[in-house]
Amino acid sequence: MVRRVIFACWLILCAGGEVLAQQNTPPLPPGEGMPPASSSATPAPPEPVGPPLKPSAAPAPPAPIVIAAPKQPNGKIEKSVVAGPRIMTNAHVVSNTRYLTVERDGDPNKYPARVLFVAHDCDLALITVDSPDFYKNMVPLTFGGIPELESVVSAYGYPIGGERMSVTTGIVSRIDFQLYTHSSIDQHLAVQISAQINPGNSGGPVMQNAKVVGVAFQGYSGDVAQGVAYMIPTPVIQRFLTDIKDGHYDKYVDLGLTYSKLQNPAQRRYLGLQDDGHGVIVNTVIEAGSAGRVLKQGDVLLSIDDHPIGSDAFVELEGGRAEFQEIVERKFKGDKVKLDLLRDKKPMTVSIELNTVWPYLTQGHYYDMRPRYIVFGGLLFQPLCLDLMEAYQMTDPRVRHFFDFFVQEQIYLEHPDVIVLTNILPDPTNTYLTPYRASIVDEVNGKKIGTLRDLAEAFAETPDRFVIKMVGEGPPLVLERSQVEGARERIRSRYNVIQEQNLDEQPIAQPAQASAGGPSS
Amino acid sequence: MQGIRLLLFAAFSCFGVTNTFAKKDVTQAAVQPRQLSLVRVNVTGQGFDYFRPWQKRAPFSKRALGAVLSQGRVLVTADLVANQNYVELERAESGEKTAASVEVVDYEANLALLQPQDKKFLEGLPPLELTNDTVVGDRLAALQLEQTGALVVTDGLVTAIQVLRYPAEVGQFLTYRLSIALQFRDNSYTVPLVKNNKLAGLLLRYDPRSQLMDVIPAPIITHFLKDAAKPNYPGFPSIGFSYFPTRDPQLRKYSGESGNGGGVYVTGIEPGAAVQKAGLRVGDIVTAIGNSELDQNGNYIDPLYKKIDFTNLFTMRGYSGEKVPFKIHRQGQPMQLEVTLEHRSADDYIIPPYSRDEAPQYYILGGLIFQELTRQYLREWGTNWLKDAPQRFVYLDRFQWELFPEGHRRIVILSQVLPVNGTIGYDDVGYLTVTKINGKEVHSLEDLAAAVQQPVDGFVKVETVEDPKQVELDANQAERDGPRLQENFGIPVLQRLK
Repeated sequence: MVRRVIFACWLILCAGGEVLAQQNTPPLPPGEGMPPASSSATPAPPEPVGPPLKPSAAPAPPAPIVIAAPKQPNGKIEKSVVAGPRIMTNAHVVSNTRYLTVERDGDPNKYPARVLFVAHDCDLALITVDSPDFYKNMVPLTFGGIPELESVVSAYGYPIGGERMSVTTGIVSRIDFQLYTHSSIDQHLAVQISAQINPGNSGGPVMQNAKVVGVAFQGYSGDVAQGVAYMIPTPVIQRFLTDIKDGHYDKYVDLGLTYSKLQNPAQRRYLGLQDDGHGVIVNTVIEAGSAGRVLKQGDVLLSIDDHPIGSDAFVELEGGRAEFQEIVERKFKGDKVKLDLLRDKKPMTVSIELNTVWPYLTQGHYYDMRPRYIVFGGLLFQPLCLDLMEAYQMTDPRVRHFFDFFVQEQIYLEHPDVIVLTNILPDPTNTYLTPYRASIVDEVNGKKIGTLRDLAEAFAETPDRFVIKMVGEGPPLVLERSQVEGARERIRSRYNVIQEQNLDEQPIAQPAQASAGGPSS
Repeated sequence: MQGIRLLLFAAFSCFGVTNTFAKKDVTQAAVQPRQLSLVRVNVTGQGFDYFRPWQKRAPFSKRALGAVLSQGRVLVTADLVANQNYVELERAESGEKTAASVEVVDYEANLALLQPQDKKFLEGLPPLELTNDTVVGDRLAALQLEQTGALVVTDGLVTAIQVLRYPAEVGQFLTYRLSIALQFRDNSYTVPLVKNNKLAGLLLRYDPRSQLMDVIPAPIITHFLKDAAKPNYPGFPSIGFSYFPTRDPQLRKYSGESGNGGGVYVTGIEPGAAVQKAGLRVGDIVTAIGNSELDQNGNYIDPLYKKIDFTNLFTMRGYSGEKVPFKIHRQGQPMQLEVTLEHRSADDYIIPPYSRDEAPQYYILGGLIFQELTRQYLREWGTNWLKDAPQRFVYLDRFQWELFPEGHRRIVILSQVLPVNGTIGYDDVGYLTVTKINGKEVHSLEDLAAAVQQPVDGFVKVETVEDPKQVELDANQAERDGPRLQENFGIPVLQRLK
């Protein structure tokens, strides 16, 4: 049981909007000697580079947060509250919540709260409490920068071991890129601290000099490694807060490419490069990504926004070295990035408008989303994603291939949804259809099926029979319409199918948010 | 312990169990112990290391029994003699020994024939006859030997006769399943089973927990012996197509099938297979093979076993070279095809399903190790190779016919990189599927060997399906690195081609 634990539950600061906006801590000064890390450039196998333990680190199930109760952490700065008070916590604390309350130290009441913003890719969320009583005599916390290596920090929270607030202290052990276990595909800057962090610390502030320098969020369970805990540092927090200024969280942006270091002398000469230790080579350009149709396989990236890219993929940044993707990490949807490159030995410069690379999202966990599906003739069709792979423990080699190579082989171009026949609700109409389980829908009555919506439309037509061609060899799955219609009510009532399909791709609206009107309005 | 462990390797899978339970006198003793025609067989050998294809694995030795047949032949399982260096026969009663040679071996049917170098060695051992009439309910006796040469007899009941995969995972063969409490002896590798002092089968695998044994049955042995008598061993006919039951009434109607007839739906055809030459197509429904009608699950009524999977018509009942009429329905229309049964050898696959006795091929260029993808290579990941081996390779293996319908090629992989001057910076490279070398498509190691001889502007360029997509070497540097590689990694030769 090697697992990286997400220390679920509690809170961090209560802070006024203005205060947050003013806190212009240096956006991202990675410390000296920051070890290599690839950000979202290597999305498919979400194994971070770094300590050997990490690849096997599995996300812990988010702690029970049906009634998450983030508590105010400490009484240090209790005074007044600025307009628009917000409480910051981890995304995994409030993910999939149905009802949320918060408590504060010294106050016997539980206050209903609602989620304002959730950023699953960086495991941060903002919640608010509508009752003004909650904020009485409370002073918002402010942010510091990235703490120095070896400097002392204190983690506040309500971890297991008691009811009242706990404080633990330790030093900053490492500043590095880490896999953010909550989504399981995102890698961002994270700070490793030696302060004890345990389940219940999640979302709690890590303080230095009375300023918040991070949000405690994950670590290893004791049977894997001791004293390895991580906090989300302020550059990541600031990026989140800036992103949501327009009332909408746009997610991280990414170039959407994979690359290799260029450290082989022969390869450098082949590509027409000097022996100057610069440049990385583009391997795969994700067509749906920002760099799609701009960059090509074999392009040599020489500099990004005028920062020369080392052959180890690092750039000089604010006195330190960081992976070149860090330049992109700091940007927002719609921002541009300039790349100098060598294509067929000829120099050129391109400008790329940055966007989220959506195919990556299927490779990570979904939250606050109802699973999408169609039940038809007792057959359950679902689009392939990480949660589906895990839920069904998929071993079918074709399904595994479609999942593993969905992004890299650009399978999404033909199958934006890879629709799998995952389950069969037994009924006389489908008695002999069991062998079709785990096959992938390709066509219905000669029409290519790219998305779940395509499939719903195909099933809404009224042919004599539905001939469902699956990917690969095998006979088509044939459903006679009269049979499906005859079975419909029977299946609905027998299996208590309340809704025969859910095509909605939107996250579930937070229940409380709907009534109170979020900040976006 | 090795003998016991070797017996454990297979998990039983249950399908197509025949329910024919012929009434027999189950109390009848299967064997009257007397001097039987058994010899000990001692084998030493060495397998090949596919991760270091230039070297062999540590030597092994196995002790087994062989059944003495007519014409001075000794029958054993093929697994016993796989990758053998030396085979020796030993008279159980006297300990007398002689070297033996492997005359014929069929890894798919898991049978091999040995012949002693000393022709007189088997004198005094009356050859075993075969008995082909075993049916469910019969009792068979497993024969083993004590150290002293005394016979150890264990009695077992044939609980099922079905068509199963053998360890080579090629084709499906008739198998007896026995309920038997086999004891451990150091010759447990090949255990003969007899009925009325006639050979009824050889041990295929045994699961000590369930005490179930799978037996290579005498009819398969008879088939093997008939083939072995031919000048060129032809091998068991291959089926060459994949199929699907036609039980679903909606599929039947769609395919133009009326009524409740039988037949299997053809889902895929291996390129170059006998059935393809005969004109069989995907979507056809095969209703009869020879005189045997197929039911909707693909079973036919066998004169001896009653309902059993139709693949038995190919492996047990069919012989390579025979012309067999296939009755099919194409879009509801009855048609007849004539299929000349044919064996498909492991070499005819794109990714050979097994390789024994043959050193793996490889080509090392300046630290890059190129190999051809084989299932033997994938098996290096252990029994869980389907899950643990590189998924791309598993996928290529599983869907080879679908992905390469043109057939006739190999998949060349860049399996790993040895560190040397010329491969600096390529430490992460490995498990890649090679598409081109110096711009030329590569469909075999021979293609690769030819293409690397033609560097472009002094560089050898390797293109791969996976990232990093391209790897370049300085052709001269690669040449210079050769001797150092050989010395550092103990590689006798940098290439081994066909």
